[in-house]
Order: sequence, then structure tokens, then C-alpha cells
Amino acid sequence: MNAFMVSARHEMLNARRTRTANLLLVVFIGMVIASSVIGWVTNQTVTSVYQKVVADGLSSAPNPFSGVSPLYYSRNAVIYVLLIGSLMAIVLGVQATLRDRKAATADLVLSRPVGSVARLLGQLAGLGVVLAVVIGVSMSISWVIISIINGAPLGWGDTGRLVAFSALSWILLATFALLGMLTGLRSRQETTALLVPFVIWSVVAFVLPQIGTAARPVSLLNPVPAVNPTGGYFDLVSALTGPLSVTEQFKRASGIILQDSTVTGDATPSVLILLSFLVVMSIVVVSTPRARMRSGLDG
Amino acid sequence: MTTSAITTDQLTKSYGPKLALDALTLDVPVGEVFGLLGHNGAGKTTAVNVLTTLLEPTRGSAEVAGVSVTGDPRSVRRAIGYLPENVQFYDNLTVMENLRFFAQLSGLRRPDGRIRDVLRILDFEGHDRQRLGTFSKGMRQRVGIAQAILHSPSVLFLDEPTSGLDPEGVRTLRETIVRLNSEFGMTIFMNTHLRSEVTKTCTSIGILKAGRLVHHDTLERALSAFPGEDSLEAIYFQVESEPAS
Amino acid sequence: MGNPSTHAWVIARKELLDLRRDRLFAVLVAFLMIATLISVGVAAASFRTQIDAYNLYVQQLIAAGSTTKPAAPTFFPLQLLRGGVEYLEILGALFAIVLGYGTIAKEKYRGTLQLILSRPIGRFAMPLGKIGGLAIVWAAVVLLLTAATTIAIVAIGNAPLQPIDGARILIAAIVAWLYLVFWSALAIGTTALSPRLSTGLIVAIVIWLAFVLIIPQIGDTMDPDNQVPGGLFATLQIQKTDELKVLANFAGFDAIRNGLEISSITKHFERLTFAFLGIKDKYNQQTLDFVWTDLWGYAITLAVAAFASVAFAVGATTRRTLQRKIS
Repeated sequence: MNAFMVSARHEMLNARRTRTANLLLVVFIGMVIASSVIGWVTNQTVTSVYQKVVADGLSSAPNPFSGVSPLYYSRNAVIYVLLIGSLMAIVLGVQATLRDRKAATADLVLSRPVGSVARLLGQLAGLGVVLAVVIGVSMSISWVIISIINGAPLGWGDTGRLVAFSALSWILLATFALLGMLTGLRSRQETTALLVPFVIWSVVAFVLPQIGTAARPVSLLNPVPAVNPTGGYFDLVSALTGPLSVTEQFKRASGIILQDSTVTGDATPSVLILLSFLVVMSIVVVSTPRARMRSGLDG
Repeated sequence: MTTSAITTDQLTKSYGPKLALDALTLDVPVGEVFGLLGHNGAGKTTAVNVLTTLLEPTRGSAEVAGVSVTGDPRSVRRAIGYLPENVQFYDNLTVMENLRFFAQLSGLRRPDGRIRDVLRILDFEGHDRQRLGTFSKGMRQRVGIAQAILHSPSVLFLDEPTSGLDPEGVRTLRETIVRLNSEFGMTIFMNTHLRSEVTKTCTSIGILKAGRLVHHDTLERALSAFPGEDSLEAIYFQVESEPAS
Repeated sequence: MGNPSTHAWVIARKELLDLRRDRLFAVLVAFLMIATLISVGVAAASFRTQIDAYNLYVQQLIAAGSTTKPAAPTFFPLQLLRGGVEYLEILGALFAIVLGYGTIAKEKYRGTLQLILSRPIGRFAMPLGKIGGLAIVWAAVVLLLTAATTIAIVAIGNAPLQPIDGARILIAAIVAWLYLVFWSALAIGTTALSPRLSTGLIVAIVIWLAFVLIIPQIGDTMDPDNQVPGGLFATLQIQKTDELKVLANFAGFDAIRNGLEISSITKHFERLTFAFLGIKDKYNQQTLDFVWTDLWGYAITLAVAAFASVAFAVGATTRRTLQRKIS
């Protein structure tokens, strides 16, 4: 077995054994499931509200839910991928590369016939599989819950959309895992290794969209992407910050894929932006020199 | 066929203006147990790091198992085993899982049988399903030796192997080193700052001072070269007290 | 130097000195400062674009011969602070966790913990010194942020502030200080309890995720009116009075929703600051008495939560927990 495969399998084993990683995985899966359940409970209540309204003769309008895509119930999953998923991916990424530096096992690895590119790509592949499994499990359960709410199994079209959303989530999370790997390789302290990607994440998720669209931080926790610029200064700035606001691009593309009627347009540019970030980050991480991989940490 | 396991010629490693290793020229024949003595900071670990290809030399050349460390580092890595000082592992994995990982990285396809053999050689059977997190220093060191010899390397590098071990652990390790050399024919390159280690296990010695090799000989000749001295301890201090040339 | 409070003060002073030299701390405070100032700037720019749009609209009306003039958007300087408050709410809490974690983790990692614990210090010296040090640090940071944003409002927003505005800002600053101390103390407690250092940090961050980001967001999601794009009642063309009547039948559901929201300390911080700064319309330009009458309950809960968090940190930070196996 070559270094790539060995590293990938080793990474999966480590992720399975690390309690903190498991805690985050459980929180993530739990929240994605909860988002569907909350959608379901709220749906029941709203249906009762509607029936009450109709019974009281206050409205004769048709049930507003009849025109809503069943996938609407999983729109909160977009936010959970963004909030919990990204942080989980960062923690996994940091642990992957920092582990070998912290325990000096990097010397045991690198004194063997192992190329640094194969080693790092292998670790990334291992993390990629872990992320895919987590996303796969949570989306499968979402599928079941939405089907129950819907009263019938989701059709091929909607299932396809859920799969496409999963793939998009994977791209975003793999990018954040790479960010974690990078700071895990570059930082001189464990705290810095964890904190720097968190700060970068908060800049990407909150500061950049705010500069471009005047959206306030808390409003960015909504699954719907920030509204378009309000003219003047914002037209110019959002042209610069828009493509860098990876999380907003993710919300936009997800909204379109999940048929959220408040988001319109073509998802392709957003998907391409996300993909290009993934590729750039991969190249940056993989080109880490061997000496950096085995550098120790400061006290 | 080469008769030298390790040769170096003017091997130098500097960190900015600081010379960690200063023109080391050395020859360690196949089958030797070579002990490199020196104070803390004398450059012993740097020498091992360069020879194990973990660091690139600034100048000079070195061959390990007949292969250049700069020309073909990957082939060197195939031929060597390495035990760093204060070795650490993936604590949440078992002994078997740790060793399997390192064996596979060394190119072993189905390593489980070999891992069991090695654990038997090291008298460490029955621990393979335990996680490393609970192990004492001595137990970790044995797993450390295991990971270094899994792939039957021809040259084994040990960096301060007895550091932090209790007397019983030191004795066991010494016996293991002698066995690996005599039964399995491994050439062993060992760093230490303990003179007693060298007299009990090594066949030849070198003394490093401020990055320079100030003495290099077989143990027997080193001892006979200083007839008035009772022990290696005295030789060491005599060489150490001479100004570096 | 024999009494326990002196030992705690010695540890607190060391903490202050340590943080003053800490580059990471400087970066975090600078980041918080820049983000807050950006949010003031962006809010001011946003208001200016609104004014421009309004002026353009009025000109168009005049050109069209209309004599009616719509009301101009009103400018309330303190509302420019909303983004800054939200940054403290989300990122301030995160940074408070990181500092709380760091203050314990550094001692463990460097091995200086044994040097401290081998001295004849009392049971409470270590936790009280650490929390006291951080409380002083946060007071300084909050004061710095308050001063900087107040200057920014006057300079960027070009808005003269009244003395009462100063009182409002000061109350918001005290509330922010309590909120940040809450998170730092929580992280000190979780880090002291975790044998593995990074676990303490990650547990605190999971709590942060749950209480700062997720619970408030769930509360928002469960609002029946948010369930249909464009709003349920708007879609059904129902008047506000009828809406309230219908919703009265679903009081249980709404109680759960509100209960979820107020189970988060972040909501208490947000509601208090938004009310005192007049960011929430209901409290805008109202007297402090009026605001206090409505919100004293939140002030009590926030203070109790901060105290409870400090008590948790003190209880968790013992010789035994600190000296568990480090990895």
C-alpha cells in the first residue's frame, strides 16, 4: 500500500478515535437532523394556524405551503453546514497536521520513504472521506424526515438536489479543513493553529459580507444570502468582497439548489468560486516543504 | 560491495551563522555499533537528523547504506530505522495500529505477522491491543524500537535511547541493542551523552564537541590509547578539556 | 504576601503582564476594534445612501409637480453601534473563550503550573487570580472599544452626542463587560476540567456555537411567520389584529419558541444593549427609567449568569483538576 492510501486510512482511524472530533460530528449530525425536525414541528403548527384561519373565515387563500418545495424544510441545514460544519472541518484539519508536529511523530513518518505531497494528499483524502460520511449520514436522515413531512418519499428530482447540496457542502467543508491543515502546519502554537482559522472564518462569514452589503453580523445567520448592495459605495465594494465571501456564495448556490424562492439566478458562478478556493487551498497545503511538516511547537 | 554502512565527508550543517555540525568526516563499517558522544548541544542530534534525511546538509556529503543522503534520500529512508529521543506516538491508537501505520509507510504490505514477530523479539507480546496513552516511558521506548526495526533496516539510528529510562529499562534496552547487532546484523549508530552506555554496547566511538568530531576510534583502541586512564569517562573528559582545533 | 487575596492579586498581575506581551491578544483586540469601527462606518455609509435615495426621490416628486414631501429618514447616532454590539455578541464571546482557555493552557503547556502549585498558595488564589486578571483586561478592552466607537460616531456619523447618550453607552459597556467575563470564566472552567488541553477549548466552543449561534437562530426559524417566503400572514392577507387573535391559540408553541431564545445568555445581552442604546424601536428615545422597568429582569439574569460562570470556574479550577495528566 502506498503512502497516500496509508495516510488516508490513518487519518480516518484518528478522526474516529478523537473524542473532540466525535463530539463535533455528533453535534453536526444532530443539528442537521434537528433542523428538519424543527421544520416539521413548525410545519404542523403553521398548518394548524392555517386551518384555524380558514375555519374562522379570516382568509380563503389557498394553503401557502402547497406551493413550497419540500426541500424548504432543510434550508436551515445550509446554516448548520456553515456554522458547525466549518468549525468541525477546521478542528479536523488542524488536528491532522498538528498531531505529527506536536508528538514529533513527523520524524517517524518522514524518515520513511514517504513523499510530502503523497502524505498531505493522503491526509486530505482521509479527511475528505470523514466529511463525506458525516454529510452523507446527516443528509440521508434529512431525506427520511422530509419524506415523512411530505407524506411520500422524495422524488428523484428533489433527491438529486439534496445530493447536489451535499456535494456543495463537502466542497465548502473540505476547503475549511484545508485551512485548518495549513495553520496546523504553519503555526508555532496549538492555540494559534486553532484560533487563526476561526478568525479567518469569522472574517469570511461576517466582516466581508458586512463591508459589501451593510448586512449586520446576526442577520448573516439567516440561510438566505445577504441582500444586494444598496448603491453608491456598496456597488464598488461588493464587487471586490463578493467573490471572497465564500460562505455567502455557498448560501447563494445552496438556496438556488434547494429551490428557496427568495434566491434567484444561476448557481454556477458561486459553485465555480467555491471550487476554485478548494483547488487553490489544496495547492497551497500540498506544496508545504518537508522541513515545515516536522517543525516543532513553541511552549 | 560496500563495506561502510555510513560515510560522511566534510558534512556541515549551519543555522544562519551558527555551525551545528562542522565538517564531520566519518566512516562507520557495516556491523558496527557506533556511539557518538558529546555534551548537550554538541551537534549529535543534528548529525542524526542529517543522516536520516530529516535535515539537508549545508555542505559536504554523506552516504548511508551506500546511498547519498542528498542524491537519493528516499532510498536512504528505505534502508534505515530511526528512534528519536523521547519518542511519542498517536496515543489514542493501539500498539498494533501505530505499528501497522509505520510499517505500511515503510512499504510493508501485510505487516501484522511481522509486527507480532518484532514484538516477540522485544519480549513485548500481549500489549498489541493496548492504547499507547497509558504506557510508561520504558514501554513506549520498546514500541519505539519496534517501529524502527519493523522493516528490517540495515542501519539503525538511535538518538539518546536510554534517556529517561529506569535502570531495569536501560538494561533491557542495552541487551536489545546488542541482539539487534549480533543476531540481525544491523549497523547501529547511537547518540548518547552517557559514557557508560558506550562501554557496554558500542564497538567504536566518536566524540563530538561544538559540532566537530574531536575523536574517532574503535572502543578497544580508544581504551588502549589512554593506558593510564581507568575508564572511558576519563578519556572523554581529557578530550573534552582540549581546545577544539 | 501571606494572605490568599494577595496571592490572587499576584497571579492576576502576572496575567495582565503576560497578556500585555502576548501578540495573539493584541491581534484579537485589534481585530475586534477594526470590525467594530468598520461596522460603524458601514452603518453610516448605509444611512448616507438612504439619504441620497430619499433626496433623489424628493427631487423626482418636485419635478413631477407634487407638493407632498415624505418624511426624511431620521438619524439616531447610537443605532450605528448595532453592528459593533453584534460583533461583541458573536466574536467577542469567541475571543473571551480563547483568552480564558489560554490563561490555563499556557501554564499547563509550559510546565509553569507545577512551579505555581509548589508554592504555599491557597485554594482560591489560582482561579480568582486568573478570573480577576481577565476581568480587568476585559474592562480595559471594553473601555477602549467604547471610547473608539464613541469617537467614530461623532467623527464618521458627524452626530453630536447628548449627555444621556453617554450614560446609555456606559450602561451598554457594563453589560458587555459582564457578558465577556461570563465567557472567559466558562472557558477557564472547561479547560481546568479537561485533561487534554484542546478538549477544554473545543467544549467551550461547542457551548458558544449552541448558545450564541444556534439557539437564537432556531428561535427565529420557529417563528410561524418565517415559515413561508414573504411571511405567512402577509400571504394569507390577514390584518395584524386578527394575526394576534389567531396566534393566541398557539401560545404554547410560542412560549417554547421564546423560551428557547431566552435560554441563551446572548439574547439577554442583546436585548439589554439594544434597549439601552435605543436600537430596538420600542425603546428608541425613551427614558432610562422606562427601559429599566421593562428590562430589569434581563439585567438580573445576566449578572446571575456571569456570577454562576465565575463560581463554576472557581469550583472547577483545583489542584486536582489542574494536575491531571496533560497530553
